[in-house]
Amino acid sequence: MKRLQRAATLVSLVESLRENGSWCGETSIQKASFFLQELTGVPLGFEFVLYKYGPYSFDLTDELTALRADSILTLETPDPKYGPSYLPGKMSGFVLERFPKTVNRHKAQVDFVAERLGRKGVAELERLATALYVQLGSTGRSSLKSRAGNLTRLKPHISKADAEQAAREVDKMRAEAKQLFGQ
Amino acid sequence: MAKNIHEIRDAVHVFARLDSDERKILDSRAFQRLRHIHQLALTYLVYPGATHRRFEHSLGVMELAERVFRIITADENLDDRVREVVPSGDQLAYWRRVLRMAALCHDLGHLPFSHAAEKKLLPEGRTHESLTVDLVNSDEMERIWSKVTPPLRSEDIAKLAVGPKELKHHDFSEWERILAEVIVGDSFGVDRMDYLLRDSLHAGVVYGKFDQYRLIDTLRILPETDEESAAPVLGIESGGLESAEGLLLARYFMYSQVYLHHVRRACDFHSQDFLLSMYPDRLPTNIDDFLALTDNEVLVELRRAVADSSHPGHDAADRIVNRRQFRVLYERNPQDAEKNPEAGEAVYYAACEKFGKQNFRHDRYSQGGSATDFPVKTRDGRIVPSLAVSDVLKKLPLVNVDLVFVAPELRDQAQKWLSENRDEIISQVAEDEP
Repeated sequence: MKRLQRAATLVSLVESLRENGSWCGETSIQKASFFLQELTGVPLGFEFVLYKYGPYSFDLTDELTALRADSILTLETPDPKYGPSYLPGKMSGFVLERFPKTVNRHKAQVDFVAERLGRKGVAELERLATALYVQLGSTGRSSLKSRAGNLTRLKPHISKADAEQAAREVDKMRAEAKQLFGQ
Repeated sequence: MAKNIHEIRDAVHVFARLDSDERKILDSRAFQRLRHIHQLALTYLVYPGATHRRFEHSLGVMELAERVFRIITADENLDDRVREVVPSGDQLAYWRRVLRMAALCHDLGHLPFSHAAEKKLLPEGRTHESLTVDLVNSDEMERIWSKVTPPLRSEDIAKLAVGPKELKHHDFSEWERILAEVIVGDSFGVDRMDYLLRDSLHAGVVYGKFDQYRLIDTLRILPETDEESAAPVLGIESGGLESAEGLLLARYFMYSQVYLHHVRRACDFHSQDFLLSMYPDRLPTNIDDFLALTDNEVLVELRRAVADSSHPGHDAADRIVNRRQFRVLYERNPQDAEKNPEAGEAVYYAACEKFGKQNFRHDRYSQGGSATDFPVKTRDGRIVPSLAVSDVLKKLPLVNVDLVFVAPELRDQAQKWLSENRDEIISQVAEDEP
């Protein structure tokens, strides 16, 4: 994906997340992009590693700042309680209009992810994204309990019950994504 | 009795102090090599005073790392919400030592002319940071780490020296992540603090100055947000907010005025071409060959190449030495950016097609990271995002460069062509794919 095509996809993701009730801070975009790339197969080209709040891409952070520099995205802080929030910038319309095929090709995947993650808080996003990270790294048919165990080992502050719930929810999302997108 | 603490005069911090164990690192081949790597590559062709080296910068980074460490680990400065992340006793002493060594070693892997040619000269997937890690883990350095008191683990030093962004697949504990942030952090890394102050001093500009004393005194380890699951990171007490703004403004101005100066950037392209002519099969990355290579060897070869028209690097060398560097043909402005955010790329490709690729270079740089976003502790103990309490940070511009350079002998012709076709060229946006 070329830079402006990826920009159009990220703008589309930000719009969809906001429509689905997301505050759209960087953590929301990071986790949604991780699901978009790894669960639904949209080739954003970011490398995700396990970091402070689960899977995280340093390249994506750089890209979000670069998109702000080009006014494709903008950052506002309407409520200090929740931290900064991303919005489409004044050049967002430009990329959406110039890359309609790219946006349409990934629209269903973008909405799928945004509908499922939009209303989640940071702590829940961390659990779900880390559960997916664990699942992607699991070999063969590892059980839900074993994956939940791995999740709590990676993130000791997550309880066993929350880890199992997250693993269950990711299993469900993965099955849906497979049916809808063949991933 | 032999002296254990050594003072070295420093242009920025007055003294850099180190003990006899740290002196062994100073005297190592890898560190002494930094005496011969210019901090700012060929920037001295624009700012003649900017001839300082990575040697003194590395000492300065260690000096600042020590000051930050003392402040953020002082008992009276620890926030109860994150207090448990900081070790105590011998462990704290061990990590202080690791931090100082990592600060000293953080630039060991720099190539000649620093960043100018790194991407093209190193094998795929290698960076100066990965070379730094190799050097820290080398047998020669390992012998030093094992003999200092207490012995230090080279992998701990490497982690703090380059940070999690460069060692993506290594596990970092919260404490290790914070210490790496002390050195290479986007907001408050002492690497950046030192280079802004030092580069500003030597270049003879005031843009890089900020109130380092107030800033460091108010740095704290804080939860990133008020949420219970928030990770501990480096933040600031509200009384230091203006000094943090000063640091980030200094960064913006130094990038705009010094690091991305158009003549320096043009010379970076030529030095890259020259180095590629010296090393068409890429730079050696084995330790002995790498350590033998500094700016000195390259500068000697550069002068040889100028005098020899058959030298493969003659043209690049001649452009640098005889001031025939490429000139700016196009600089994107806000009006053009509204027509095409990649306007420079459109001009570059059209110009290459019209006049030949060898006559043009495209320079695109966008600021990355998220330096302006950090936690601030208010007087009543709440944690608020910096962007919620600082109008300066909200409005701080992002560095964004989009330039096209042309060979000076073609400049008039290319400018005429561009002025006649500008709107049409800039409107050419890459095609959407089916």
